Amino acid sequence: MRLHSLVLKDISRRKTKLGLAVLSVVIAAAAIVAVVTTFSAATDGLYEESNKFGANIIVRPEVTTIPLVAGSTSIGSLSTGENYIEESEIPRIHTIQNNSNLAVVAPRLYGVAELDDSSVVIMGVDPEKEKTLKPWWKIQGHWMAAKTPEKTEVMVGSDIAGPLGLKEGSPITLSQGNISIDAQVAGVIESTGGNEDGYVILPLATSQYLLSKEGKVSSLEVRALCNDCPVEEISRQIEEVFPGLEARSMSQIVETEMAVVEHTESSAMAVSIITLLVSTLTVASTMLASVNEKLKEIGIMRAVGASNRQVVSMLFFEGAIIGIIGGGIGFAIGTAASSIAAPMLVSVSPSPMWEILPAVVGICIVTGMVASIIPAKRALGVDPAEVLRSV
Amino acid sequence: MSDYLETLETSNNPENLSENLLANLIQVKDVTKKYRLGNNEVEVLHGINLEVKAGEFVSIMGQSGSGKTTLMNIIGMLDRPTEGSILIKDIDITKKSQKELVDFRRRTVGFVFQQFHLIPSLTAYENVALPLVFSGDKDNSAVESALERVGLAHRMHHKPVELSGGEQQRVAIARAVVMKPKILLADEPTGALDATTGSMIISLLKSLAGDMTVIMVTHNSELAEYSDRIVYLKDGNVAE
Repeated sequence: MRLHSLVLKDISRRKTKLGLAVLSVVIAAAAIVAVVTTFSAATDGLYEESNKFGANIIVRPEVTTIPLVAGSTSIGSLSTGENYIEESEIPRIHTIQNNSNLAVVAPRLYGVAELDDSSVVIMGVDPEKEKTLKPWWKIQGHWMAAKTPEKTEVMVGSDIAGPLGLKEGSPITLSQGNISIDAQVAGVIESTGGNEDGYVILPLATSQYLLSKEGKVSSLEVRALCNDCPVEEISRQIEEVFPGLEARSMSQIVETEMAVVEHTESSAMAVSIITLLVSTLTVASTMLASVNEKLKEIGIMRAVGASNRQVVSMLFFEGAIIGIIGGGIGFAIGTAASSIAAPMLVSVSPSPMWEILPAVVGICIVTGMVASIIPAKRALGVDPAEVLRSV
Repeated sequence: MSDYLETLETSNNPENLSENLLANLIQVKDVTKKYRLGNNEVEVLHGINLEVKAGEFVSIMGQSGSGKTTLMNIIGMLDRPTEGSILIKDIDITKKSQKELVDFRRRTVGFVFQQFHLIPSLTAYENVALPLVFSGDKDNSAVESALERVGLAHRMHHKPVELSGGEQQRVAIARAVVMKPKILLADEPTGALDATTGSMIISLLKSLAGDMTVIMVTHNSELAEYSDRIVYLKDGNVAE
């Protein structure tokens, strides 16, 4: 028989009474797990949502007049004046310190052209890079190919395709001043609710020719990968490499929503921590009552050779056991609770966060052991001679 | 403390037995014990002097409140004297630290109480094994030997509630002797038992004396007659 088996036997004898202590740890652990799981899922959801914006950094000259969008969100406007980015300078963006985070750098050229006696906004893009940035675009037809000598393909937004009766295969002629090009509609972009609904999108080189802006682009849309990469820092590095350009981080949009989530999470976590403190007091109170009930036994143990250290170890072990059981059950209940509550509260379905199980149980063990300090002090104050005489 | 334990080990050598019987194992010197009760100080023992030889069976008798149990607790170092000293084999244990005294109690003294003081959730075997658990001794063979010695090997897996009063006290005695202590202190060991069972317990204690020094506190003069010597306490003084 070992010291810890003495404690286990004692716990099994007082299951009901210690159940209250375990219950309080369960409640605290469940609250913490539910908060962490729910808000972690909410945060991941927000980041995932933010990915749908496509680019998360817009690089442009420091003037604006034409509306710019990312996904369905308007992020300002861009001038079509004489301020452009030299296309030959674009590769320099890969010299920034965080260049490994740059997944896509997509150049764009905006301008106005004539189509069937109507003025339309044209947007020149690198088709392959644009396809990577806008995976959610649904095309009736197919994605346009890069400019080829044989034919030029364009895509048109739904607001243009409808009135002009354009569809896949329709021939169109775009003109700007004395320059005109013949092209074929590769596909119509289904309405996204964004500005692209009113654009004619064509290969960058074609747009540069049409607008007489060879070697120039209006802006760069940059997709920096990862949830926690320093987007603001990357923007700063880009501005260093391109003096006179403005690199605007889309994270501001995400951060606003994130701030709301974090504020709610902080409040919920504060409540959880208070629950944990109450739990500690409940465990301490239950264990103190238990020690008071066991004064005689503690006196006997000390009389037959238990040292102070052994008495304290036994109580700490009891506290740790309460923590382990409470933490384990609390994790299960908290995970179950978050799977029910999260879809209603933050519209996400969280997965069990097994990686936090050791930390949760660890916190509960520490809680149980901290709660054992006062009972241990009481136990050490037991005078075996007095206790054994009085019973 | 290790020197002290070695000294005790030497005293157990059969070659030294006759010498041991003549030697004083326990010397109580001018022991005074005072308790504070509210604002009053009560002196329970007044400069007690007592010597007990190795292997001796001594009964301490006296009226209630005469200080018998207090003296026994002080000899067993469950309590400390206010003044005076306790020498075990000429070593003053009152000067030892609390940690050293725990070690002393564990290896040198066995206690038997009037109310048995067994732990109800543990079996007879586990109760007897307790001192071994606290001393870190993993060899539990002594537990069965101790239970055999008190005639309860067949009841080792029973819990206290399943044992009679006499059996419970025999388990308590087995627990007291499992570490093979040099001193066995019994406080009214028959107080909660009927006369027949009480006699049986005293016989058992008597059989243990010789291997160890037995000091028994009792009210019962008939049972005290079993001992080698009777020490009377009256109002905190020895009246031998």
